[in-house]
Amino acid sequence: MGPGASYARGSKKEGVMPDACGRTFDETFLSGYLDRALVQGDEQRVRVHLEGCVSCRALLDELTSMRDATMSSTFKLPRDEEWSETPRTGASRLLRGLGWRLMSVWAVVVAGFGLWESWQDADNLFERVLLVGGVSGVSLILISVFLDRRHAMKTNRYREVRR
Amino acid sequence: MAERQAQAGHPSTAADSDSELVDLARAGDLDARETLAQRYRQPAYLLALQMLSNLDDAMDVTQDAMLRFFTTLGSFDSERRVQPWLFTIVRNQVRDLWRRRQRRPGDSAPDADSLTSQLVSSGPSPEADLRRQQLREEVWRALAKLPAEKREIIVLRDFHDLAYNDIAQLLGIPIGTVMSRLHGARRQLRARLEEGGRHA
Repeated sequence: MGPGASYARGSKKEGVMPDACGRTFDETFLSGYLDRALVQGDEQRVRVHLEGCVSCRALLDELTSMRDATMSSTFKLPRDEEWSETPRTGASRLLRGLGWRLMSVWAVVVAGFGLWESWQDADNLFERVLLVGGVSGVSLILISVFLDRRHAMKTNRYREVRR
Repeated sequence: MAERQAQAGHPSTAADSDSELVDLARAGDLDARETLAQRYRQPAYLLALQMLSNLDDAMDVTQDAMLRFFTTLGSFDSERRVQPWLFTIVRNQVRDLWRRRQRRPGDSAPDADSLTSQLVSSGPSPEADLRRQQLREEVWRALAKLPAEKREIIVLRDFHDLAYNDIAQLLGIPIGTVMSRLHGARRQLRARLEEGGRHA
């Protein structure tokens, strides 16, 4: 029997129960019964009905089978090292923060020195215009990214996640 | 990917209770944060994977969700359960991703095979397990094709084992609606499986 075959029996239209069923409760109670989510009186009513109703029992069996298949599934999971590396101790966080600050200062100093040297070495106005244009363009893009990030931080809807 | 298995929704029991860990994490204890992350990132990842059917998207969403979980710990009531709170964040992230994708129609649709390829077979008897595994694959393939609203309620209840009141809070619906929506979703899943059986 193919995996889908156990669900093909009956071939009833979705949501339609046989006329002869005679249920006195809403069909959704079958899911509540399956999940043990009904109050005692309703659970009793469903249990009594199931004893005498083949079609409801068949539906419940199918729902149970689907639920068991879902419930018993296991999935491959990422290895621990696949999660992003975050500083795990106070010392490593401090060192990483210090490292980023030093690297940022170094990058600004090196970039400034390079610009100054390029400006001094430029032979004519055209080269200086190219230099100023390029630096201005990159600076404007970086500033706009920074402004967007700051705006996103301020308007972050998850700051107060709905409970 | 590791060939490891985990039953989501049942994070390993540890000496520290969640509420103690949340209090410590809020006070800046990095070990407590790490323990919480290790305990809950896998269920969060699985929920994201089951909703998105895409490994990379699931990983990204989970990373973002864990980050937001820790940045919003200050407003979290430590007496409440962590998992429904984290799942709310994951769900928000997933919906945001879908909204962004809708604006970019070139993006790929959910791929059921990506999800079923992540299933791990288990069981002592190979033959019986093969039949069970086929059934699981059929169910997850059909689930991946359900509308998101139906899929999420089945996944939350049947895989992650969330109680009706947790699901009601998470989805923002009355508890009385949970049972009817869940039953409708199960009915639709059954119909999809029937279609699959007829076309097999």
